[in-house]
Amino acid sequence: MLTMTNVKKIFRTDLVETHALKDFSLQVNEGEFVAVTGPSGSGKTTFLNIAGLLETFESGQYMLDGNDVSQLSDNARSKIRNQKIGFIFQGFNLLPDLNLFDNVDVPLRYRGWSASERKQRIEHALETVGLASRQKHLPSQLSGGQQQRVAIARALAGEPRFLLADEPTGNLDSKMAHSVMELLQDINQRGTTIVMVTHDPSLAAEAGRNIFVRDGQVSELHEVNTFADVVNG
Amino acid sequence: MNWEIGPIFRAVMRNKVGAVLIALQVAVTMTIIVNAIFIINERKELLARESGIDEANTFYLSSSGFGDNYNAQVTVEEDLANLRQIPGVINATQTNAIPISGGGWSMGLKTEPGVENEGVGVAVYFTDQHGLQTYDVELLAGRNFTDADITWRDPVKGDWPQMTILTQAMAKDLFPDLPYQDVVGKTVFINDDEPIQIIGIIDKLHAPWIGWDGLERVMLVPQHLLFDSYRYLIRTEPGQLDRLMPEIEALLADSNRNRIIRNMNSMTDTRERTYRGHSAMVSMLTIIIVVLTIVTALGIVGLVSFSVNRRRKQIGTRRALGATRFAVMRYFLVENFMITSVGVLLGAAMTVGLNIWLVNSFEMQRIDWYYIPIGMLCLWLIGLLAVYGPARKAASIPPALATRTV
Amino acid sequence: MFRYYLRLALLSYKRNPILSSLMVLAIAMGIGACMTTITVNYIMSSDPIPQKSEQLFYVQLDSWDPNSPAREPNDPPDQVTWTDATNLMKAKQAFRQSAMARSGGVVEPENGDSKPFMTDIRLAYSDFFAMFNVPFQYGSGWDSQSDDNRDMVVVISRAMNDQLFGGENSVGKTVRLAGHNFRVVGVLKEWRLVPRFYDVTTGAFDNTEDFYMPMPLKESLELTSNGNVNCWKRPAEDGFLGFLYSECVNFQMWVELRDDAEKQAYMAFLNSYADEQRALGRFERPNNNRLSNVMEWMAYNNVVADDAEIMLWLSLMFLLVCLLNTIGLLLAKFSGKAGEISLRRAVGASRRDVFMQHLVETGLIGVIGGIAGLGLAMLGLSGIGVLYGDLANDLTSMDPKLVAIALGLALVSSILAGLYPTWRSTRVAPASQLKSQ
Repeated sequence: MLTMTNVKKIFRTDLVETHALKDFSLQVNEGEFVAVTGPSGSGKTTFLNIAGLLETFESGQYMLDGNDVSQLSDNARSKIRNQKIGFIFQGFNLLPDLNLFDNVDVPLRYRGWSASERKQRIEHALETVGLASRQKHLPSQLSGGQQQRVAIARALAGEPRFLLADEPTGNLDSKMAHSVMELLQDINQRGTTIVMVTHDPSLAAEAGRNIFVRDGQVSELHEVNTFADVVNG
Repeated sequence: MNWEIGPIFRAVMRNKVGAVLIALQVAVTMTIIVNAIFIINERKELLARESGIDEANTFYLSSSGFGDNYNAQVTVEEDLANLRQIPGVINATQTNAIPISGGGWSMGLKTEPGVENEGVGVAVYFTDQHGLQTYDVELLAGRNFTDADITWRDPVKGDWPQMTILTQAMAKDLFPDLPYQDVVGKTVFINDDEPIQIIGIIDKLHAPWIGWDGLERVMLVPQHLLFDSYRYLIRTEPGQLDRLMPEIEALLADSNRNRIIRNMNSMTDTRERTYRGHSAMVSMLTIIIVVLTIVTALGIVGLVSFSVNRRRKQIGTRRALGATRFAVMRYFLVENFMITSVGVLLGAAMTVGLNIWLVNSFEMQRIDWYYIPIGMLCLWLIGLLAVYGPARKAASIPPALATRTV
Repeated sequence: MFRYYLRLALLSYKRNPILSSLMVLAIAMGIGACMTTITVNYIMSSDPIPQKSEQLFYVQLDSWDPNSPAREPNDPPDQVTWTDATNLMKAKQAFRQSAMARSGGVVEPENGDSKPFMTDIRLAYSDFFAMFNVPFQYGSGWDSQSDDNRDMVVVISRAMNDQLFGGENSVGKTVRLAGHNFRVVGVLKEWRLVPRFYDVTTGAFDNTEDFYMPMPLKESLELTSNGNVNCWKRPAEDGFLGFLYSECVNFQMWVELRDDAEKQAYMAFLNSYADEQRALGRFERPNNNRLSNVMEWMAYNNVVADDAEIMLWLSLMFLLVCLLNTIGLLLAKFSGKAGEISLRRAVGASRRDVFMQHLVETGLIGVIGGIAGLGLAMLGLSGIGVLYGDLANDLTSMDPKLVAIALGLALVSSILAGLYPTWRSTRVAPASQLKSQ
């Protein structure tokens, strides 16, 4: 599904060069639920941005769904993001002026679907996250957990093959966080590949595989306990 | 004292576009406002000119005779006799044209006879010995016309009398080197070679055309007119004008059925009409200046407010690190002052540029130098006033904001 | 997608109502000021007779003082003498031609109750009506026979027909004017010419006259000269005829020439005419004769008032300030939307999508500003109407074309103002604003 080989990303300002990713290599298979962890500044967000085609990189290769997406144009990357990738953010990133229906509609609008098809998908996605009855509400009228559910509905509505989540529960209390995790697992069960960035080891434990990033490189761990040792040690 | 000039300057340089927009806006605004104020002052000077006559108490009308039974000489003699004995009328005269009314006669006078010599253009008013009092002008030197001097001018024979009274300005333009007293008695030439003697000098009387550069050049000619159409200029005692205008119109219309009385106007209305273009220009430019000032000020308020909002967290951090409210305000005031300064410097150049263009394209004067620094000061002031509100808002951001997210 | 963007634009307007309204206000002010002055200038400089303005030519002959030009630096007088006017009419060298002048006289209505009144008279030749496309309600103009025979005929305006004859067909009836009886041969329809180009010496924005009669009658009836008379030389003889045949100019000469060849032929004719006259002791200056078509003649006479032009330029600069203002405010507004843009980019909006969305948003502001500006322009025009009164007759009304120009100007200028901020909005990186801070 996702294969990165020796991906290198450098941030340049006037004064310094920061190597955010160096020789980053990773493979994620179809249907996997992978959690990416690592300390602040390790490069996990950069990895996520590159995986989601939000950012470009200096060198290396990135194959997504069998296609090389390393050198695509801005337009082509937009199209892939729109059709194959769903995003879930820590801050939900709902548009405050739009009601739930219209928020979920945002990615679909760029898809060129008919109004009736969009409507059907939006309603279905909101149903999946249990908010079908609140289509006309504004995000501000919802709790944080509900808002994140709307964001998940938005990510799901286009039926992406690949879901990227960046600290999806970071702004939620543990009870809500748990229900969001259950939802994600549910989605994964139905075949969607998920890559989730988090710093919470207990959440990471609920994923099928854990990847630890440090200094822009991957150290893959298979056992959660060992991972916990590394973090604590 | 540390005014943070360096850091502010570097911050401005990082957001060049916003700064450039404000500076350009200030520059163009200054260009328009300063030129507009200059034009307004120019027009106000024109509006303030006095025609020399007692405008508040003077009016005029036209009399046009027609038909075979009409006798111009008898009509004029009767009319003038009647008009002059009406209570409330100070004096009246028959004439051809009215000062500042827009239409009249002009001739050229020469100090030496002959077609090859240059003449001085002059407005011609036909009148009689009652003219000086009717026009409310002062005889500075020489004498007034007498009854014996007055002749009748035939409409088809353009003979000029032997004498004239000139305004001081005309005397000066004919004889630049002589004091006006010495111009009395001089002979000048009309129609190239017909001599005419200057018997008197009056202080001031305007020609009919306010746009003419010889506005104050007038000659009074001692003739009554045997024309079909001519005018009466009538001066009343203060406060009598409104009552007398309709009365006199009716009186003249009824006294002779073979003529039409028309175009009756007070000098006050005539001035208003003649100068309407100038006063309209003053009004329009004033509105432009006010609106433009508001637009520019609101623009600055909008942009600074935005930049304050964007820097809320940064300002909170500064406050937490010990910056006083005053320091925060000063930061924005200094920042804006820097940007406005660039604007007014550019504005000064553009103001002069626009003025030069206006001078070349239209009949306008060069701008006086002091308009520029005054304009710069005004724009600085407008800029500081506009930024004061948002700067105060910035100063009221609590230091605790630094530790809060969002 | 357009409707979606329009909805987003309305939402965005509501989100920052003050900032958005400031932009609308700025555009409205700029458009209002510009359209007010553009309207006045447009009407002042409008082509009064677009079908023929290229074929009608004003004739200037330099018959002036050998010692100084009629107008600096070396321009011929702006009118011609009676002698030249009648000679050119006799020569009939143009397709159509009419000399003309303004005169006046007293009208004595038949109806004893109505008082006599003064009126302006346009003296002209029979071609006048065909040359200037004069519209007739009843009858027609007179023919060239009437010019030659000095027939006592008049054409009257619709208003005068209403006043004298109650609006009925008065052709064949008699009207007493300037002490003589005239037969009405034609009644005009409503005829407005803005500017009234055929005689700018008596005011380019004056109304057309109420009476028209053959110009040769001036000589036989000794009609007055109501226009501008300019002389450089004293009439050689006294009396009406002495003055009429003097070197004083008081007549306008118009010719209709259908193409360039005709124009060149007529110019050659004018020069040879001047040479003939020179042989007779007139035209002491070198040949300096001119033919100007309608718009050239309007430009030569500065029919567009300087003040109107100054105000036009100032108001265009005013619009510039308003647009700079709008650019700034749009930048502020769009940078407040970085989060939304970034999210839309992340979920698949292309740069083009983002560009279009914000273009519609600025366009919406432009249209609202344009409509408000149109209102302000109407207000400004009625303000000018109040300030100038009857001096601005016919100069303060907008036609559909001007309304379209106003809206177009608003749209184009707001989109121009929005171009940079919109472009900047497409540069927001998809990932930049997604982390919550």
